[in-house]
Amino acid sequence: MSQQSTKKGEMDLPVRLRYKETKREKTGVFFKKKVGWLFIIISVIAITIFNFYPMVQAFLLSFQSGMGGNLEYVGLENWKRLFGDPTFIAALTNTSIYLLIQVPLMIVLALFFSVLLNDPKLKFRGFFRIAIFLPCVTSLVAYSVIFKYLFGIDGIINQFLLNFGFIPETINFLADPFWAKVVIILAITWRWTGYNMIFYLAALQNVDKSIYEAARIDGANAFQQFFQITVPMLKPIILFTSITSTIGTLQIFDEIVNITNGGPGNATISISQYIYNLSFEYTPDFGYASTVSYVIVILVVILSIIQFRVAGERK
Amino acid sequence: MKKFYLMLLLAVGMLVLAACSSGDEEASGGSGSEGSSGTDTITAWAWDPAFNIAALEKAKEAYNGDGEFEVEIIENAQDDIIQKLNTGLSSGTTKGMPNIVLIEDYRAQSFLQAYPDAFHPLTDVIEASDFAEYKIATTSHEGEQYGLPFDSGVAALYVRTDYLEEAGYTVEDVTNITWDEYIEIGKKVKETTGKNMLTLDPNDLAQVRMMIQTNGSWYVDEDGSTPNLADNETLAKAFETYKKMMDADIAKIVSDWSQFVGAFNSGDVASVPTGNWITPSVKQGADQSGNWAVVPMPRLDMDGAVNASNLGGSSWYVLNVDGKEEAADFMLNTFGSNPDLYQTLVKDIGALGTYSPAAEGDAYAVEDEFFGGQQLITDLSTWTDEIPAVNYGLHTYAIEDILVTGMQDYLNGAELTTVLENVQGQAEAQLK
Repeated sequence: MSQQSTKKGEMDLPVRLRYKETKREKTGVFFKKKVGWLFIIISVIAITIFNFYPMVQAFLLSFQSGMGGNLEYVGLENWKRLFGDPTFIAALTNTSIYLLIQVPLMIVLALFFSVLLNDPKLKFRGFFRIAIFLPCVTSLVAYSVIFKYLFGIDGIINQFLLNFGFIPETINFLADPFWAKVVIILAITWRWTGYNMIFYLAALQNVDKSIYEAARIDGANAFQQFFQITVPMLKPIILFTSITSTIGTLQIFDEIVNITNGGPGNATISISQYIYNLSFEYTPDFGYASTVSYVIVILVVILSIIQFRVAGERK
Repeated sequence: MKKFYLMLLLAVGMLVLAACSSGDEEASGGSGSEGSSGTDTITAWAWDPAFNIAALEKAKEAYNGDGEFEVEIIENAQDDIIQKLNTGLSSGTTKGMPNIVLIEDYRAQSFLQAYPDAFHPLTDVIEASDFAEYKIATTSHEGEQYGLPFDSGVAALYVRTDYLEEAGYTVEDVTNITWDEYIEIGKKVKETTGKNMLTLDPNDLAQVRMMIQTNGSWYVDEDGSTPNLADNETLAKAFETYKKMMDADIAKIVSDWSQFVGAFNSGDVASVPTGNWITPSVKQGADQSGNWAVVPMPRLDMDGAVNASNLGGSSWYVLNVDGKEEAADFMLNTFGSNPDLYQTLVKDIGALGTYSPAAEGDAYAVEDEFFGGQQLITDLSTWTDEIPAVNYGLHTYAIEDILVTGMQDYLNGAELTTVLENVQGQAEAQLK
C-alpha cells in the first residue's frame, strides 16, 4: 500500500525531492509504525488487563450465584431473580427518576448559565464563572454531608423557611420519600451544573461572532438567536454532556449513601448502592451483584444509542 | 469516566485491586508469611480506637503465654474490614489477611458460612461455657466454635430519674416493666415535663431488634436463613408496640447518630433504651451526673419474654492463615482466660466483656456516681447472662432494609398482617 501511494505521489513531486522522499518512506514506514504502536501499546495492554478482562470476568460472574467464595453457575437464574426483586425495582425506579428529572434540568441550567456568562458586557464575568464552577472541585462526600446537615430537621433550610413563614412547621426532608428525592436531585444539580457549563462556555468561544451580527442585522431577537444559532452550534457538545451526565447519574452512589443512605425505606436507593449492599452490606453474593451491574451497562448502551439517534447528525 | 469503569468492574475489579493493595500492606507491615514454622508477627484488625483497639492494646500488655511474637494492631473502619475480608477471602488468597479480626455478631454467620475454610476453629482452645450463652450460637458454626466472644451488647434502659420524679415515678416503677407500661409512663412524662420519652430513627429498626430478642425471636428461622416474618407473632407484637409509641407521640424522631446522642445529652428525652456501649456517651453530659439510672430493658407483653436483650456486640476470630497457632495462643492467654484483663478493660476503657469468671472481680463491683451510686457493671453483667440466645443467621441487615419499608407502610395505616406478608414475600424473592 505505502509503495503504491508513494508511486502515485511521485507524479506531483519535483524531481529533486522524488528520490529523497521514497528513500525515507522505505526505511521509515515500519519504524514510524513501530514507534506509533509503542506509544499506544502500554495503554492497550493496561486497558485490556484492567478493563476488558474484568468486564469479561464480571459477565461470566453474572451467571453465577452463591455466598462469598462458593459460587456456582446458575444460568439465567440471576436475571429471573432480578425481575422479581422489589429492591432492585425500587433502585431502578429511583435511578430513572433522577435521570429523567435531573439530567434535563442540569443541561438546561448549564446552557442558560453559559450563555449569560458568555456575554462580553457582563461585569465580574470571571467571578461568576468561578462561583458556578467551584462546587465541582469539592469532594463528593464532603458536599453530601453538608447537604445532609443543610436539610436536616434542625438545619438552616428549615430554619429559613420557618422564620420567613413559608412553611407552618419544619419539614423532615430526609425522612420523607418525596422530599428526600428532591434533596438528592438538588444536590447533584448543584455539584455538576458548573462542570457542564464549562463545556458550553468553551464551545461558545468557537462560535463565530459574525453569525450573531448577521442575525441581529436580520432582526433576530435574543430568543431566536439562542434557539436558532446557539443551540444548533452547541449540538455536539449538548450530546456529549447528555451522555456523560446520563452515565454519571446511572452510577450515582456517593450522594445517596451520604445524604440518605437509601432511605427512608428504599425511597432513594440507587442501583449502584444496591450493588454495594449486595456485595458488602448483606451476605456477599458477587454473582448477583454483577448481574445488577450489567443492568447499568445495558442501560448506558441503550440510552446512548437513543441520544445519538435523537441529537446526533445523520451520517 | 474512571468512575464508570470502576462501577462496571465492581464485582471483579474490586477483588483484583484489594488483593494488590493488601499485598503492599503486608510488605510494609512485615507480617511475612515466609517461613512456615514460627511466625514472629501476628496482625489484628479491629475498629474503634477508644474501645476495641484499646482493648487489644491492653491484651497485648497482659499477654503472658510462651509465644515469642509481636502483635501488630491495625485500625480500620468496620465497613473497611468487611470489604477487605470479603474481597480477600473470596479471591482465595490469604495474602494480606490478618491473623485476628473482629466481626460484628450480626454478620458473623454470613462470614462463617460464605468462607467455610477461612477461619480457624477455637473449639479446643477456649472453654465456650466460660462465656455468656447467647454469644455462642452466633459465633459457632456446625458444631465448631470459631469466635472468641468479646464485648457484651446487653441492652438496658437508661432513665432520667429527675424527669421520672417530676412525673411521679420512681426507679422501681420502670424496673422490669413491659413496653406497654413503658408507653403509659412515657405519656405521663410528656404531659408533666414536656419531654419526649425516647428517640426513634425510622431508618433504623434497632428498637424492633431488641424487642423481639426479649422473646427469643429473630427475623429468620432456626436454620439462620429462612425469613420468618409473616407468621412471627413476636415481630407482629414489636411492630404494634413501635406504632403505639409513635401514636402516643412520646418519641423524638432523629435521623442519625449525632442527633441521637445530642437528644439525651441536651436533656431532650427521659430515657434511652439501647446497648450498654452507650454509657460513655451518656456520661458526656457531665452536668446530668446523678440524674441517671440504668434498669433492665422493658420486655414485650408476651409469655416467655424476659427483661434482657442485646444490641450489637462483636467477637474475635482467628483466620486460617500462617500464624494461626500463635494467634490462637495469644487469644487464649488474653481474652480467653485472663479475668484480670477484663477488670482492666472495665476500669480503663469501660468495655464490658462476656467472660463469666471475670464477673467476680472488684472492678465489676465499683459504684458509679454518675448513675447515683449504682453498681452498673455488676448489673449489666447479670443481665448479660439472661439474654435469650437466638441465631442471628445470615440476613439481619438485608431483611431489616426490607422491614424499614414495611414499617413505613404500617405506620401510614396499612394492615399489619398484609404488611408482614408483603415483607415475607419480598424477603423470599430477594434472598435466594
